[in-house]
Amino acid sequence: MEANKFIVPIGPQHPALKEPGHFEFTVDGEVVTDATIRLGYVHRGVERGTEDRTWVQNLYLIERICGICSHIHATAYALGVEKLAGVSAPPRAQAIRELFCELERIHSHLLWVGVAAHEAGFDALFMYSWRDRETVMDLLEGLSGNRVHYSCNVLGGVKFDIDDTQRDTILRGLEFLEQRTQHYLDVVTNDAAFLRRTRGVGVMTREQAIEYGTVGPVARASGVERDVRVDAPYLAYDQFPVKTITDTAGDLEARFAVRVRELFESYRVIREILDNLPRSELAAKMPRKIPPGEAISRVEAPRGELFYFIKSNGGEKPERVKVRTPSICNFGSVGRLTIGHQLADAPMILAGIDPCFSCNDRAVYITRNGDTQRWSWDDLCRYGVANAE
Amino acid sequence: MKDATALLQAAESILAPWAKETMRPDAARLDVVIAPPDIVPAARALHAAGWGFLTAITGLDLGVETGKLEALYHFCEGPALVNLRVTLPRDTPVIDSVCSVIPAASFFERELSEMFGITVKGTPHPERLFLPEDWPDGVYPLRKDFNPDRLRTEG
Repeated sequence: MEANKFIVPIGPQHPALKEPGHFEFTVDGEVVTDATIRLGYVHRGVERGTEDRTWVQNLYLIERICGICSHIHATAYALGVEKLAGVSAPPRAQAIRELFCELERIHSHLLWVGVAAHEAGFDALFMYSWRDRETVMDLLEGLSGNRVHYSCNVLGGVKFDIDDTQRDTILRGLEFLEQRTQHYLDVVTNDAAFLRRTRGVGVMTREQAIEYGTVGPVARASGVERDVRVDAPYLAYDQFPVKTITDTAGDLEARFAVRVRELFESYRVIREILDNLPRSELAAKMPRKIPPGEAISRVEAPRGELFYFIKSNGGEKPERVKVRTPSICNFGSVGRLTIGHQLADAPMILAGIDPCFSCNDRAVYITRNGDTQRWSWDDLCRYGVANAE
Repeated sequence: MKDATALLQAAESILAPWAKETMRPDAARLDVVIAPPDIVPAARALHAAGWGFLTAITGLDLGVETGKLEALYHFCEGPALVNLRVTLPRDTPVIDSVCSVIPAASFFERELSEMFGITVKGTPHPERLFLPEDWPDGVYPLRKDFNPDRLRTEG
């Protein structure tokens, strides 16, 4: 190893979504020259698990893949199974599913605003955004009885209807959130201290965003107009469409701005749905055995395109369920984006793709010619914040 | 919104030189069966034409009795979906890496390789991505004959 080249391992237990990841940054002085990633620390064998469970049981297993975007996983699965069975959920059910999708996006994006603000050393913003996020968590709980696994889907439709009282509660909540989101947009695009951590950091051109295979808000912040809700509408997105939000700057500021602006689209479309909720049954009847065949469903999770491939052999259990989450697509970009940046920017670049920091307070080791220094993730973040001051 | 039929027609003619069999399972989906050595040229042709992006690679075990594995390369463009399908022998499954054309395929190939035991020739980081360091060699958890009991340790 050259005299001033260190390898900084970060993780495994920290920055990834439901997948805590292990990152190794090679640094030359302060500058990152290489980065590698190791995943799988919470690989639970869910794909394999689906093969031993019935179609209905899998709905509950699948929903537990993610504790943030649980509904979108269950929705992608339900859409695939319904396609195989030749059943489509009634219009009211599709609209209610879409409404849950957008409420989920709101809580996910607000969660991320808080996490990213914390990484930037902006704890007031972190606490405000998480306080406000409670509003949408309460709305989800009011609709379904649950904050995280709302479990609104059944194969063939939904379990919950929305009555007028719930409707009014949602509208009141949205009014408050919209006002707060305006404030967040102002902060992330105008606050000088915040912009020092985000403007011009982790820049990804449109070409790079495509080459690295990024999806969702990360890609859209680099001007890639891709959003499954618009490109291949599912649920009721053709009746209640959303606009694709993009930016051209491709830096962290753009990733912030895109996510915050997407919130306004979610508020708008939820109001649309509530004003025009179709009248119909809540669920169609599903057969117990699913005819043989293959189905692919693509949906737009808060973090980007979520892809399901489902194969049936005609029995009571699936032959194969393949899940490709958006984060696996976005992880690749972190390795590339940190190269050439200061080590101090690494936490923000990681936060920029919106991985889950549920286990972020972990040890970091800095190796210096065989001499290992122990850093915690917090140390690294503090180092990042101190460096920006 | 782009028109799926026109997109699929374009993809079909791009892929014609390698297509052994072509199927349209639904209005927005085209499946093209190709020979394993053709995966790189076929992916390169789609990429060169700017047709979509590689969204996922799915591995399938067609069963011990068939002696076959299958890999599906899913490409998306707007509402249209193209699946390149290759069938590989179960005992010596080898396929070329498409990373020279699509660098973002790296994670997908590593997953395919450790879950199904498919050797992806020339993939830039062949080491494990998801399975633990102490996972036994030659055990592939998404193959149909995988027996989790084999992994149980005493105590």
